[in-house]
Amino acid sequence: MLCKQLQLIGQWVLCRLAGLGGALFMLLQSLLVLPGRQGLQRLLQQLYVVGVQSLIIMLVSAAFIGMVLALQGYTLLVDYGSEQAVGQMVALTLVRELAPVVAALLFAGRAGSALTAELGLMKATEQLASLEMFGVDPLHRIVAPRFIAGVLALPILVIIFNLVGVYGGHLVAVEWLGVHSGAYWGNMQAAVSFIDDIVNGLIKAVVFAILVTWTALYQGYHCIPTSQGISAATTRTVVYSSLLILGFDFILTALMFGGL
Amino acid sequence: MSKTNVVEVSNLHFARGTRSIFSGLNIGIKRGCVTAVMGPSGCGKTTLLRLIGGQLIPQQGQVKVFDQVLHSLNREQLTQLRARMGVLFQSGALFTDLNVFENVAFPLREHGSMTADELHDKVLLRLEAVGLRGARYLMPAELSGGMARRVALARAIAMEPELVLYDEPFAGQDPIALAVLQRLIRALNDSLQMTSVLISHDIVEACAIADEVILLGGAGVLAQGSPEALLKSTDPMVYQFMHGQADGAVPFHYPAPELITEMRTATARSHIQTSVMTDHQELK
Repeated sequence: MLCKQLQLIGQWVLCRLAGLGGALFMLLQSLLVLPGRQGLQRLLQQLYVVGVQSLIIMLVSAAFIGMVLALQGYTLLVDYGSEQAVGQMVALTLVRELAPVVAALLFAGRAGSALTAELGLMKATEQLASLEMFGVDPLHRIVAPRFIAGVLALPILVIIFNLVGVYGGHLVAVEWLGVHSGAYWGNMQAAVSFIDDIVNGLIKAVVFAILVTWTALYQGYHCIPTSQGISAATTRTVVYSSLLILGFDFILTALMFGGL
Repeated sequence: MSKTNVVEVSNLHFARGTRSIFSGLNIGIKRGCVTAVMGPSGCGKTTLLRLIGGQLIPQQGQVKVFDQVLHSLNREQLTQLRARMGVLFQSGALFTDLNVFENVAFPLREHGSMTADELHDKVLLRLEAVGLRGARYLMPAELSGGMARRVALARAIAMEPELVLYDEPFAGQDPIALAVLQRLIRALNDSLQMTSVLISHDIVEACAIADEVILLGGAGVLAQGSPEALLKSTDPMVYQFMHGQADGAVPFHYPAPELITEMRTATARSHIQTSVMTDHQELK
C-alpha cells in the first residue's frame, strides 16, 4: 500500500518535471532565432493585442485601487493626526506590491487566457500543423513574438498602473478629504526611493510577465485540441499564473525587502 | 526508391498509448496516381497521413518519401522535403489572420524566390484554377466550407508539389462543392503531373477519381487494388466497407453485455423481450 502510494507520488513528480522540462525547452527553442523585419512587425502587432488592448482594464482598476488606498489610509492615519502621510502610503503600497501583483493578475485573466485560447484554436483548426508542413516553425512564428510582447507589455502596464493609482489616491485624499496637496506629493517624493521601490517593483513585473506569458503559451501549445481541452487549458493558465504570481511575489519581496 | 513508388511504408508499427494503430504496415504509393486510402473510423488514416508528412515518428519500421527515410532527416532536410509536398488538411487550416490571396501566397513567400509581380500572377493563376480569383480579398471567416476547402487546395498546390496529401477533402461538402473538388483533384493531378494520396470515407466519390484504393483495417492493409477490383471483392470485411453495410464482419455494436441484463426497470425488460420475439416471428 505504502509502496503504491510512493510510486504514485513519484509518477506525479516525474510527470510535473517532464512538463517543466518541456516548457523550458519550448521557450528556449522559440527564442533561439533572432526575429527579422517581418518578426518585428509581428511583435508590434502582438504588443497591440496583449498590451494596448489590456490598457482599459488596467486604467480603471488602477484608479479605483488608488482611490480605495487613499480612503483606507486616511481613515487610519487621521486618528493619529498623520493624514499628511497618505500620499507616501499610497505610493509605497502601489509601487512595491499592488501595482505589479494586481496588474499581473489582471494580465493573466485578460491577455494570458486569450493567448491560450488563440493557440489552442490554432491547434484545433490545424493551423500549427499547417505551418509545420510549410516548413515554418510555429515556435518561431507564433510563440516567440507573443512571448516577447508579453514580457515587454506588462512592465509598461505596471508603470501606467502606478501613475494612475497615485492620481486616483490624489483625487480622494486631496480633492475630497482635504489633505494638503503639497504634503501629498512632498511626503511621497521623500519616501519613495527610485532603486529600492520603483526598480524593485519593475523587476517583479518582469518576472511576473515571464511567468504569465510562458504559462499561457505552454498551455495553449500543448492543450488537447477539443473545445473541452481548450477550456481546461485556459482555466489552467489563469489558475497556475495566479498561484505563480502570488508565490513568486513572496519570494521576491523576501529577497528585496526582507533583509535576506 | 522504387522507380514507381513515391511513398514507401515498410514494417510500420505505431501505437497511441496501449492501442496499436499499425502493426507491420507495408504500402507503396505509385508515382502519378491518385491513391485513395480508406477504412473505418479510427483505423489510422489520418495517422498515416501525418506519418507520411513527417509530423509523427514511427515506433518501428520506416516511412520513405522521395527515397528519403523521414525520421532520419534533420530539420533542414525535412523542410526541404516538405517543400516538395502539399497538404490539404481536413479543416482547410487556412490562417485566419490572412486573406485568401495571402493564404495562397504564404508558401511562395516562405520558400519561393520570386518577385512581387511573379508572386501576384502565380497566386492569381492558382486561384483561377479553383475558381476563386474573385474572392482573393475575402477573409477565411467570410468563406463557405466549400470555398475554404478550395482555397486550401489552391494553397496546397501553390508550390507545384510532386506529392499532395488530401485529408478527407469531401467531408461536410454540399453536392456541388463535392463535385467541384472531385474534378479539381483529378484534373490537377494530371495536369501538374503530381502524385495524390486521398484519405476519404466517401467510397463513391473517392473511387470515381482514384487509380488505386488501399483499404486499412485491423492495424494493417485489408485490401489493395483498383476501385473496380475492390468493389467486386467477396472478402466479408472489404464487401461490408465498400458497399456501406451497417453490420457484418465489422460489428455495428461496440462490445457490451446483453441489453436486457443492463435494463433496470421491468417495463424496459418486457419491452425488449417483446421486440425480440416479434423479430423472431418476422424472421420465421
